[in-house]
Amino acid sequence: MGRLKNRLIAKLFTKFPFLVERWVEKAAPWKVEGIPWAPVTKPVKDCKIAIVTTAGVHLKNQKPFDMHDPHGDPNYREIPKDTPKEELMITHDYYDHKDADKDINIVFPIDRLKELKETGEIKDIAEINFGIMGHIDGGHIYTLINETAPEIAEKLRQQGVDAVLLTPG
Amino acid sequence: MGLVQREIEKKGIPTISISIVRKFTEEIRPSRAVFLKWPLGHPLGEPFNIRQQAIVLKKALEALADIKEPGAIRDLPFRWRRYEDLEK
Repeated sequence: MGRLKNRLIAKLFTKFPFLVERWVEKAAPWKVEGIPWAPVTKPVKDCKIAIVTTAGVHLKNQKPFDMHDPHGDPNYREIPKDTPKEELMITHDYYDHKDADKDINIVFPIDRLKELKETGEIKDIAEINFGIMGHIDGGHIYTLINETAPEIAEKLRQQGVDAVLLTPG
Repeated sequence: MGLVQREIEKKGIPTISISIVRKFTEEIRPSRAVFLKWPLGHPLGEPFNIRQQAIVLKKALEALADIKEPGAIRDLPFRWRRYEDLEK
């Protein structure tokens, strides 16, 4: 029942954008301190770029994001850059991904990034990119901040990634 | 998205995000973002609109290179068409 309700709300959000604004207004603010800053030290054309998407993208042979936990699934899925499109899918009940199911590039622009590599506008793409889900709540927020994000960052560093593009669902 | 972005940036890797909910980005204060007032689930635009997706991606990478002020949110000047147009 819960999943059906969430999917219905997601569809209503797409159809009636003012509902999104109401939801955003009601969302409790999250307090942060300061703004982290890592300077960009080389031209983008010399950068190896990774995508981290919160749109719920994962491989079909990976465990889907947990849609039964009302606080969401704070874990990540690794997405190799050359994964065939038919092996990718989205599990995320909190936004309407009907369009992204047709063309994953609107949330995970891997083909567009490959074109920029072809034309020399970026140097390379991370072998492993990362899928997580947005809509994380409760104690899972701490898991996301203290475990998931640092692990992703470490794996990005090991791959020699110079900069990261983040995309929402 | 912004919380993960902040943690990656803290580890020394520069980041840029594409935001479609400006209020969340203003609150979470990631290092750099571009903003589009577009529907949820469409940060790069419409399915199979390669040109549109490429423009958004290039603008995001431009912002990655240009933004010097931490927390800057750059509004991209692209308007979404009426949603009904997507169904055609």
